[in-house]
Amino acid sequence: MHEKLEKEALWQFGGYGFLVAVTMVMMFPIYWVVVASTLPQSAIFAGGAGELPRLIPGSNFLANAEALAARPEVDFYRSMLNSLVIAVVYTGLALLFCSMGGFALAKYDFKYKRTLFMGILGTLLLPTNLLVIPLFLLVSNMGLSNSYWAVILPWAAYPLGIFFMKQAMQSIPDSLLEAARMDGASEFQLYYRVVLPSMKSSLAALAVILFLFQWNLFLWPLVVLREGKYTIPVAISKIMSNDMIAYDQLMVASAMAIVPMFVVFILLQRHFVNGILGGAVKE
Amino acid sequence: MTAITLDGLTKSYDATDMDDIPDNEIVAVEDVDLEIEDGEFLVFVGPSGCGKSTTLRCIAGLEDATGGEIRFGETVVNDLRPRDRDVAMVFQNYALYPHMTVRKNISFGLRLSSTLTTPEIDSRVTDVAEMMGIEDLLSKTPDELSGGQQQRVALGRSIVREPGIFLMDEPLSNLDAKLRAEMRTEIQELQNDLDVTTVYVTHDQTEAMAMGDRIAVLNDGLLQQVAPPEEIYRSPANEFVAGFIGSPSINFFDVSVDGQTLTDPSGFSYELEDHSVEDDTARLGIRPEDLTIEEGGDDMTVTVVEKMGNENFIYGTVGDTEVVARTEVTVRPEPGQRVGISFAESAMYLFESETGAAIKTKTDEIEPQAAQF
Repeated sequence: MHEKLEKEALWQFGGYGFLVAVTMVMMFPIYWVVVASTLPQSAIFAGGAGELPRLIPGSNFLANAEALAARPEVDFYRSMLNSLVIAVVYTGLALLFCSMGGFALAKYDFKYKRTLFMGILGTLLLPTNLLVIPLFLLVSNMGLSNSYWAVILPWAAYPLGIFFMKQAMQSIPDSLLEAARMDGASEFQLYYRVVLPSMKSSLAALAVILFLFQWNLFLWPLVVLREGKYTIPVAISKIMSNDMIAYDQLMVASAMAIVPMFVVFILLQRHFVNGILGGAVKE
Repeated sequence: MTAITLDGLTKSYDATDMDDIPDNEIVAVEDVDLEIEDGEFLVFVGPSGCGKSTTLRCIAGLEDATGGEIRFGETVVNDLRPRDRDVAMVFQNYALYPHMTVRKNISFGLRLSSTLTTPEIDSRVTDVAEMMGIEDLLSKTPDELSGGQQQRVALGRSIVREPGIFLMDEPLSNLDAKLRAEMRTEIQELQNDLDVTTVYVTHDQTEAMAMGDRIAVLNDGLLQQVAPPEEIYRSPANEFVAGFIGSPSINFFDVSVDGQTLTDPSGFSYELEDHSVEDDTARLGIRPEDLTIEEGGDDMTVTVVEKMGNENFIYGTVGDTEVVARTEVTVRPEPGQRVGISFAESAMYLFESETGAAIKTKTDEIEPQAAQF
């Protein structure tokens, strides 16, 4: 009996040890980006080939950030603001569309529902690169190019989000909706006052996914936005576009670009785990 | 308060996508005619899939009737939305809004569809909560409540709107046996007090017998019989009703008829004195409590004796037919023992073999003393 317990404890210790090791491997590049952002250019590559880079933070962070701010063609802080506005508005709008689409697919019966659903999923197979030219024509014909809307609208009904919400909403018992109908709710009140509030976890999880998706979007903003409207990924690419790559500035920009994603995740983390696992276990 | 009329109510589902379904449709409810009086407590009962819930949902407006008419009073409601029918419904799983407190759950309908002011709504909710004994729970959410409390909230939600009709779809089936019996009386008292027309669906015949002013028995989408509980029990319209109502179930024997003599394949026979059967065969039914076990006889082999404390259930076989008798605690044969059985002609049921329609039902009088308090 005793031996069995000891064996179990050992397994558990080994298991956690393994997980910790994997986490460290995954987190190392991020840690290094943060450390490098505090070092002068010369110190980042001080080790030379085959040696470990320097892993102790320095004191050059503010100097690097000032140098970054001094580059008008990058306009980093302006880009940060652009990215924030775009990502926040996009997340709100996409949550609305995805939840409405998911609700319709999960809880209503209509002709060609299955075909429509397959069609929506099918668009996931189209790579962004393929969409760039038709989307660009569409957006400029609508007079939206070089505007926030040009980046916000194309993925506002995000297929993966619709799929995610559909799966989550299937767990809502039909009787709950029927009870609300009997209580006098219209179909929109049903969605707004009964379905959305009971989907908080899933919505939070989807919000994280949508925010990250928009925050990291690179190719499309690069095509459709011009200087002054750049988002963070585009701005970071501009740091590298000169003859010489200022790694100290690149690292400081990357480190700062991580912060909003981090904040969003921390804020919604509890819901994120609930939402992803939601419906996995019958309660 | 509203009377309900079902006039040829039919509900069928399209089954074009399914194989092996004749006519490409499934008929859930077929040509049901029924009048439910104002203030009546009517119970729909039947096995699963018999169409009882579908009928209720048609009355609620959650399903569209594919044929026939539903009238509330004089008004045809077929095309009215649920919210416009002035009905309230209690669901099997209570269907409480998980993100709202008990107070909000109860007031939701009033806030959406009434012209009452907030203080008026609050006072209505408080009154109902007092009536249901849940005034301490008003600020809790459904996941903090026990099953019985959730049930009370669901009932409260339906009565707060003072609807013309209550619909209840197996509201007690998720509760444990003791609580179920408690809530059963509570719902009856509530219905008596409020005097609102109530349609109640259950698969539990005990619940149906205990609660209904009248019982409507459904099978395969067809209405079998509508009558007060005692009449359903004593004078079932057919074999199905006789078999469905009563616990333990009625005993059936396939008998051949020769003049006044009924004979079971195993050789067990019965002489009719006051009745006669025209067909060559019939189904004989006898309720477990009307069977008398006689020591020393040779009709039945006892298989199991269940001692319930206040009575015994004696299971056995007569030939290949399973038989159960409900007896005094003093009757306690051993498993394997051969015993005799007997019963009075007045307690016997006879049904046509082909159609199952009743030929003869119980004619024994309830003794005047037994019928009094």
